[in-house]
Amino acid sequence: MATTFKSLTTSDKVSTRTLLHEAIPLTGTILSGTYSDNNIKNFSHGMFQSVYDYPYLSSSANHIMDITVGYSSDSGLSSSANTQNSKKINIYNQMAQVLVGHDHTGAILRFDQDGDIVSGGTKLNECFFLNFSRLLTKDEIKKGSFAITVMTGGTYAARLNDLVISDSGAASDYRVNSPAGEYAVLYPESGGAVGRKVGLIYYQAGIVVLTASIFGESNKTGSSATNPFVPNTGSNYFGDGDVSGRIETNVPEMFRAAEISSSCNGFRNRLVNIAFNNTVELNSTIYFCRAAHNEFNYSANPTYLTESKIRVKNEAADSPISYITTVGLFSADNEMLAVAKLSEPLKKDPTNELTLRVRLDY
Amino acid sequence: MAFLDNSGDIILDAVLTDTGRMRLAKGDGSFSISQFALGDDEIDYSLYNKTHASGTAYYDLEILQTPVLEAFTNNVSSLNSRLITISDTNVMYMPVMKINELAGPARHAVGAYVVMVDSDTESSEGTAGGKYIYGFNGAAQGDNYIRLDQGIDNVNVAPATTLSPQLRETSYMVQIDNRFASITDASNTSIKVARLIDDDNIATYVFSETDDASTMVTDNGVTTGDNQVIAGARGTILQFSFQASTELNTSIQLFTDLGSTEVASSGPMSLQAASYYIDTNVSVLGLTTGYRIDIPVRFLKKQAAS
Repeated sequence: MATTFKSLTTSDKVSTRTLLHEAIPLTGTILSGTYSDNNIKNFSHGMFQSVYDYPYLSSSANHIMDITVGYSSDSGLSSSANTQNSKKINIYNQMAQVLVGHDHTGAILRFDQDGDIVSGGTKLNECFFLNFSRLLTKDEIKKGSFAITVMTGGTYAARLNDLVISDSGAASDYRVNSPAGEYAVLYPESGGAVGRKVGLIYYQAGIVVLTASIFGESNKTGSSATNPFVPNTGSNYFGDGDVSGRIETNVPEMFRAAEISSSCNGFRNRLVNIAFNNTVELNSTIYFCRAAHNEFNYSANPTYLTESKIRVKNEAADSPISYITTVGLFSADNEMLAVAKLSEPLKKDPTNELTLRVRLDY
Repeated sequence: MAFLDNSGDIILDAVLTDTGRMRLAKGDGSFSISQFALGDDEIDYSLYNKTHASGTAYYDLEILQTPVLEAFTNNVSSLNSRLITISDTNVMYMPVMKINELAGPARHAVGAYVVMVDSDTESSEGTAGGKYIYGFNGAAQGDNYIRLDQGIDNVNVAPATTLSPQLRETSYMVQIDNRFASITDASNTSIKVARLIDDDNIATYVFSETDDASTMVTDNGVTTGDNQVIAGARGTILQFSFQASTELNTSIQLFTDLGSTEVASSGPMSLQAASYYIDTNVSVLGLTTGYRIDIPVRFLKKQAAS
């Protein structure tokens, strides 16, 4: 009997998993400058700041990341007299409980400098948080690919001292004791601060936690470095100076006096570059559609016949010929569930056999 | 859809259809690919030039240069013409399906089968001697169906010739927009149950010589030329009719959304009364031979007197 279908056997199907990576470069001018901050969105709740790749009122804008700051209630900077004190603590606690988790009493754990939570050690009490959009990170940030360049010295208006921070080596050195997945420690790549642990990167969560101490004295590089805690002149500051009557002359002052959005402005304007590779976990099923020499050589195309006679034949002994442009994948009840198109027609006749490899990605 | 880039290696552009995505979303295991079919929708075989002066290598030059469209995600838009597996490579003639308006009811002069969807329309137009199908009270009427004949339409294969079992159609798949009508047997006495209705409201019915013999799929044993549209060896006959949907019967919503109107007397249908109509196609696919035919159908509803 003639037929138009061919069954797929178990040997005609195979499932695979592939990791795809894309390089994501973010230049500092996108973060501060190119669009005169029209791509920066602040919210009335004041808890974080969103960065877009285009003025955010445009439908073309894509969300890049959110920036926020916070400190632990155990921080020496914490004080009820501070601007948005509770919000900064809330932000820190929220990020900590998601990324670090709770202890056996249910108390929120603080960010640990080296990830060794059980042993205690130095905690990151005052932090900048970079929450990257899923649009960029996809399934996760590729381990060992993250680098961020921050100007840690100078002033808001005259920034100095590039500090490159990366997760170099994290591909084979990362932690798994976070409820949010895998993470690694961030280290400066150059200058006097090499070897210091200055932050954490959570790969699946797409979140970078940087300690505010990167803007401290010990991170100065070069003989001309300016002490970031001490501005050159009284008119320079770390934040954007939007607090009436106050100038955030240094990072601790910023944490105390500036609103979160102002602190984000100060931090954002010191970002030179961010680069990482994202990862997409591609699960695929490959269907091998095999057309044997004696299969699919005729067509039901209306143009195939003229008065029921096959056009491509002169006489009955001529080989039938057909041309494949489409592969349809069907369920047992003959519903087409997937379709694949060849980029050009493929000749099929009794002298050849074809295997069309159709890959469906999920 | 754009054309696929055919300047380099052959690539395969694969997508899930809307039905595939729907089944995947259901998560009930109904997304299970178990078979495949090949198609050649873009190919115009009349471009095959068997007399090309440069020889056989050039016969299909134009066909091989045919640009191919990207995949449609609509499950009913792709694979309209399929490739067929026939083990015999010496087949010279292949069967087709043709509407038989000689032995069965003829289409209306507008070129479509016109189905009346309510009793008002049947009272108004059905008595006017036009060629209409009674879609509301069809059981009381005779000759109220569509007939398709299958076979080799070439006198070189004499009607008395027994059609090869490989080329004789035994099962037909009929697809119709479920919002408009259901398929019935030729006598309108049995409304058939759709095998499935997809996300685009396309209802699929399957009729076979085994399950629907005598009422729908019958052998065409006629070997003479009387009232036959197949010139050569004959296979089977498919006959079916329609039961208009309740929605068309009771509402003009679909007519105003998807259709048009025709005034009384002076329009192409020479109607007795101003009416709404919707034009659509009913597709019939031979499950054995893969041959497909689209039958134009018009649903007609008389406008209420103002």
